[in-house]
Amino acid sequence: MRSFYLKRIVSMLITIILITTLTFTMMHSIPGGPFTRERPVPDEIMRALNAKYNLDDPLPIQYLNYMKGLVTFDLGPSYSKIGTSVNDLIISGFPASAKIGLIASVLIVAIGIPLGVISALKQNSPLDYFVMFLATIGITVPSFVIATVIIYFFAGKLGWIPSFGLSGPKSYIGPVIALAGYSLSFVTRLTRSSMLEVLRQDYITTARANGIKEFTVIMKHAVRNALIPVVTYIGPMVAAILTGSFVIEKIFAIPGIGRHFVESVSNRDYTTIMGITVFYAVFYLIMIFIVDVAYAFIDPRIKLKEDK
Amino acid sequence: MSKDKFVFIEQTGEENEAIRPSLTYWQDAWRRLKKNKLSMMGIVVVILIVLFGTIGPNFTDFSYSDQINAYKNLPPTLKLYELDGRYFHVSNDYNVFLVAEDGTLIERLVLDPMKRDMINKVYTYQLGEEDVILDFSYNLLPNKMGYDYNFTLELDGEVAQYPAMTKLNKLFPFGTDSLGRDLLTRVMYGARISLLVAFVATIVNLFIGVVYGSISGYEGGRVDNIMMRIVDIINSIPLVLYVILLMVWFRGGGLTNIIIALSSVYWVSMARLVRGQMLSLKEQEFVLAARVMGVSKGKIIFRHLIPNAMGPIIVSIAMMIPSAVFTESFLSFIGLGVSAPMASWGTLANNALSGLTTYPYQLFFPALAIAFTMLAFNFIGDGLRDALDPRLRKG
Repeated sequence: MRSFYLKRIVSMLITIILITTLTFTMMHSIPGGPFTRERPVPDEIMRALNAKYNLDDPLPIQYLNYMKGLVTFDLGPSYSKIGTSVNDLIISGFPASAKIGLIASVLIVAIGIPLGVISALKQNSPLDYFVMFLATIGITVPSFVIATVIIYFFAGKLGWIPSFGLSGPKSYIGPVIALAGYSLSFVTRLTRSSMLEVLRQDYITTARANGIKEFTVIMKHAVRNALIPVVTYIGPMVAAILTGSFVIEKIFAIPGIGRHFVESVSNRDYTTIMGITVFYAVFYLIMIFIVDVAYAFIDPRIKLKEDK
Repeated sequence: MSKDKFVFIEQTGEENEAIRPSLTYWQDAWRRLKKNKLSMMGIVVVILIVLFGTIGPNFTDFSYSDQINAYKNLPPTLKLYELDGRYFHVSNDYNVFLVAEDGTLIERLVLDPMKRDMINKVYTYQLGEEDVILDFSYNLLPNKMGYDYNFTLELDGEVAQYPAMTKLNKLFPFGTDSLGRDLLTRVMYGARISLLVAFVATIVNLFIGVVYGSISGYEGGRVDNIMMRIVDIINSIPLVLYVILLMVWFRGGGLTNIIIALSSVYWVSMARLVRGQMLSLKEQEFVLAARVMGVSKGKIIFRHLIPNAMGPIIVSIAMMIPSAVFTESFLSFIGLGVSAPMASWGTLANNALSGLTTYPYQLFFPALAIAFTMLAFNFIGDGLRDALDPRLRKG
């Protein structure tokens, strides 16, 4: 088992270095510097700016400096927001993004799995059809449409929830639903189909034949096994929530990392783009690592495979 | 028992012959797909959307970039007020239009600048020699003083408070946007762009993924190991991030750039799938036979292995197209899409966002188009999976 973790950590580090190098190369190979404007900046000012941000160093030195900064968790200054560093942006945006993301994840797991299990148990009942109908809509309608519809009806027409910002518990409803929608539907469908498959297995029949209570059969034998593919989806779910936050935070005007990222993309604020990309990648890799470790605990077959 | 008690049954020959004709793999798959109503519906919807996008724009009177200043922000349904036998429509931004009885817009009435009473909210519009008076001061009254209408329209002493009828907008069936562009034409062009991006990106992904995956799977060993590590690394960060980085690197939109960005990233899952297929297929006897006969490596891969892996590949293509539509609209929505005046569905949805509360129909049609396309391709994909790969059949 230890070699498994070690291998995973090493490959994670290599991936992080590769991603940073890739983003660095890409951002620095864009023609024109970060201060190129439509109205040309006088040469002296340009030189002074470049000197201030160390852009006059040769590229390899800049690269080394950037990597040095990364190790000490310093992502450098923002080019378009004078006086703020990328760290400031991430620190200021993280709480809002994390709260919404976390609530959405909890919602996905707490609602999606039971719904999937129930509609599998009541296959082809009206309830099943209804749940599958909702889940299909959730997968096919893009989150930005769901978000705008929520704003239009629940914030605009009915006035139940605020249409922007994060001011009270009510203001979380809109962003969380819009963010969770896709993954919630996906988890429900996945749980349902995997549950249906498990219920057809022989060991379920055996368990029933042994006279085990139906509740125990479902909870202990069926659900536990049906959840294995669902756990695999947690990685992509984190990715979906991360990228989903770009549009949700833009629509609901939430001052999170996602909105900073989208703003930095339209401002061509290269250090911020780079910094947030690296931050996201590292965050995502760590999440995947945690999922992998958890997976090895849940599914004994994996442990066996690694021990061999 | 005597022999004459036995009677020969009349043999027609029909009973003993197999009734089912033998079907090829594809005929069988098609037969199964045809039974799936949702998939067939999906295919019909996709064909309709493709027609809508390809030949649709030829039937509208406008191009996607025509701006008609007089007709800004007009809804798809017009509330008509009847005065003196003529019909008028008052838009949400208080422009008055003369409309024919069947819902065809005739003209926008000109606001008479001399008779504009900004303080009391009474505007006068010119209809030839006559004056149409729009009094929307009711909105200003506290709680509207019990009036249940927002404005009145007056012509020659005749006053209308309530719309006489609601007619479909004949000239602009989907309404117009904030620059006076016909939304129907724009949604059609949006279909063109969204589907073009999706199809081209999928084909490129297919090509890269199949070549990469089959080489990796067929070669095996060290080559496979290295190639799959690369795939693992690409797969280990959210793909949308790569796409956004690429779009930033390209310095913004452009159809080609989006296609390149999408196709350089999403081949990874295809490569994995094809590799998996290759690993199991290459152990089979027909490959051995081909090898013994001295068939070259490339020929074995492309003539023998890939055709046999076609089922899962096609299912994966059907699933890839909607996700490409999705990603493209996502990119357009955060401002990295095609450049104006071109528009994809995502751009249209993004443009509609600023005027959402007043002009919700501007979001409705592009959103509906995206949802329909996604739904249709998902149904087709589900059906294909059931038809082509019975082992994967679910629930």
